[in-house]
Amino acid sequence: MNLEKVIFGFFIVLALTLNFGFFLGEMDNPQYHNAYELFVLVVVNLIATGLKLGDRTQIGAILLSTSLVADLELIAAAIYWTVVVHVTETGMTPDVTASIVSLSGGALVANIVSVVMVVAETLMLRR
Amino acid sequence: MAIRPRPANNPVIFIILREMRTPILVLICVYAVAILGMALIPGRDGEPMSIFHAFYFVMYTATTTGFGEIPEEFSDAQRLWAIVCLFVTVITWLYSIGAIIRLLQNRFFQLAREEWHFIAAVRRISEDYYILCGFGDTGSLLARGLSDAGIPAVVLDKDENRIRALRLRDYNVPMPGLCCDASVPRFLIDAGVQAPNCKGVIALTHDEEVNLKIAAVSRLLNPNIRIIAVSASQFHEETLATLGRDTHFVDPFKVFARGLGAAIVNPPLYVLNEWLAHARGMTLDMRLRLPPPGRWIICGYGRMGREVNHVLHNFGVETAVIDPHPPEEDIDIYIRGRATAKTLKAAGIRKAVGVVAANDDDGHNLSIIINARGLNPGVFMIVRQNRHQNEVAFNAANADIIMQPSLVTARKILFMITAPLLRPFFSFLLRRHRLDVQFMERLLIRLKETIGDEWPQLGSVVLSEKHAPALYRAWGEGARIRLGDLLRDPRERDARLAIVPFVIRSRDERLAFLPEDDMEVQPDDELLLCGTEAALTWLEATLNNEHLLFYVVTGRDLPHGWLLRWLYRRRYGVSALCWSPASSGAGA
Repeated sequence: MNLEKVIFGFFIVLALTLNFGFFLGEMDNPQYHNAYELFVLVVVNLIATGLKLGDRTQIGAILLSTSLVADLELIAAAIYWTVVVHVTETGMTPDVTASIVSLSGGALVANIVSVVMVVAETLMLRR
Repeated sequence: MAIRPRPANNPVIFIILREMRTPILVLICVYAVAILGMALIPGRDGEPMSIFHAFYFVMYTATTTGFGEIPEEFSDAQRLWAIVCLFVTVITWLYSIGAIIRLLQNRFFQLAREEWHFIAAVRRISEDYYILCGFGDTGSLLARGLSDAGIPAVVLDKDENRIRALRLRDYNVPMPGLCCDASVPRFLIDAGVQAPNCKGVIALTHDEEVNLKIAAVSRLLNPNIRIIAVSASQFHEETLATLGRDTHFVDPFKVFARGLGAAIVNPPLYVLNEWLAHARGMTLDMRLRLPPPGRWIICGYGRMGREVNHVLHNFGVETAVIDPHPPEEDIDIYIRGRATAKTLKAAGIRKAVGVVAANDDDGHNLSIIINARGLNPGVFMIVRQNRHQNEVAFNAANADIIMQPSLVTARKILFMITAPLLRPFFSFLLRRHRLDVQFMERLLIRLKETIGDEWPQLGSVVLSEKHAPALYRAWGEGARIRLGDLLRDPRERDARLAIVPFVIRSRDERLAFLPEDDMEVQPDDELLLCGTEAALTWLEATLNNEHLLFYVVTGRDLPHGWLLRWLYRRRYGVSALCWSPASSGAGA
């Protein structure tokens, strides 16, 4: 057992599962999508990105890029949320909710790619 | 000054424009007259159409699009003119389209187009590549071998059918081909002989004069290139030798005769060579059943017969030659005539131990096998197979050694390119065998134990910054790395990859044969390895990935990111990230 692998795997899988939890539910119904969940999700994703920084290998580079994609989409979703609630004050209308959830769906795919790559690498180097 | 490989004007577009000049002029004139007419003829209200309306109407009439809309109802004069426009413009279009089709069918246009596509395809190759001149039996075998080794090639051949055949093959790497005379300098330039990533020119055409010319032209066009030419005559070899550094010639018959000589003094080496070349049905358990000392009969005294005769003579073997031509040199037993039952008997087939059927005609050689076997069933048969397509017949004939000049040449050139250290290794094996007869057997047993029943791959690895970046970084951090550590399995350090290291050549050209595991590798060493394909892939991963390298060297896992590395250093100290091997399991 290796502490590094535990920390690394923990954050990557946590990011994926939280992302899935946020994504789940009716697309355009704000009831199913929680603002705090999105906040935690952004934080966990940023931590996962931080863990991937500084890896000079090829697979490390791809992992970092998928993580950056997820960050980008989630932060975009969070900014959009803030804008509609506080700036334009239109509130969470169904079409706004659908946009936010579909951005998180994109991040979900990036997170899935991350996890698949980590699992594939681990299976290849079985020790 | 390098000559630009492509003229400044794109020749294909230039040809199209030039050919289309008349049709385009005719079209413009016809349209102009039609539009002008339409714009001048008065309409129902006495006023003619505007030029824009006339243009619109003629556009859709000329292309027979036939819109139902007309700007306003026509007068009869306009209708009359519309009929004229319709006929004239349609005929003009037919003429223009005919001109295009005529151009596309023009043989010279097609050649120019092919050449242009070929140049573009050559320029797209980003890796190092070779130019193959001649795509016959040898060329296609070599192309297949290069493709398996991941080396692209550019193919030039005179025969259009061969180039068409090339395009149907499925190679792993780009292999653009052009039908042309490869000895014409222009085509060699098209093939990129002056490109910095062109590593060499290989001249394999059937005509030795052409090969010589290709070699000379290539040398003049690019002094730094490697040139390999197939040649079987003394004169050509001497001329090629004057072409300077990195010019090689391959004589298939000499290569084979030398191999045969090696097989006679060192039969396991023959097995090793055939096994490395993936010869069909060859395993490490096979041994060559060499005949007892006695007389050999050589049927056909051409280039192959002569080389084999010399080799056999050097080893003190008594020979008899059967050949229809008068003897050129002094030979003890020389029987003139074709190899028939009668001449074979005269040459002493009943007491002979070996027969070499070395004619350049496959039918003759096959009949010699049948005749010789009929007269002396136990005789050792070496037969020359000239055409690749006769393979089935030769396999059925069950000769002891089948020699295909094309295969021997392709194999030799492929090894020259992919495994340049193999030749010194074989010389080393020959020397060692003379001192220690059991040495080869032990090597074969070691290979068998390491690689098993899989096909072996030869791998040439240069430990340079480009090909082994992880290793270079480790050296930069003061690591000392032993060969045995590199050959550990990155999945499980205590296991070894299925690789037997053959040779290490250090930067100062020193060679170490069959190096031991505790030998330290140095920057820019060149390694020749023999292993399974998977094992060589894992080795490449180790050389490129610092985590795998750190694990195989030290037995510890290197944390991936900066953050975790910092945590790790705080917890275990700085020495945990150093390249010193682990105290436990280091001797595995």
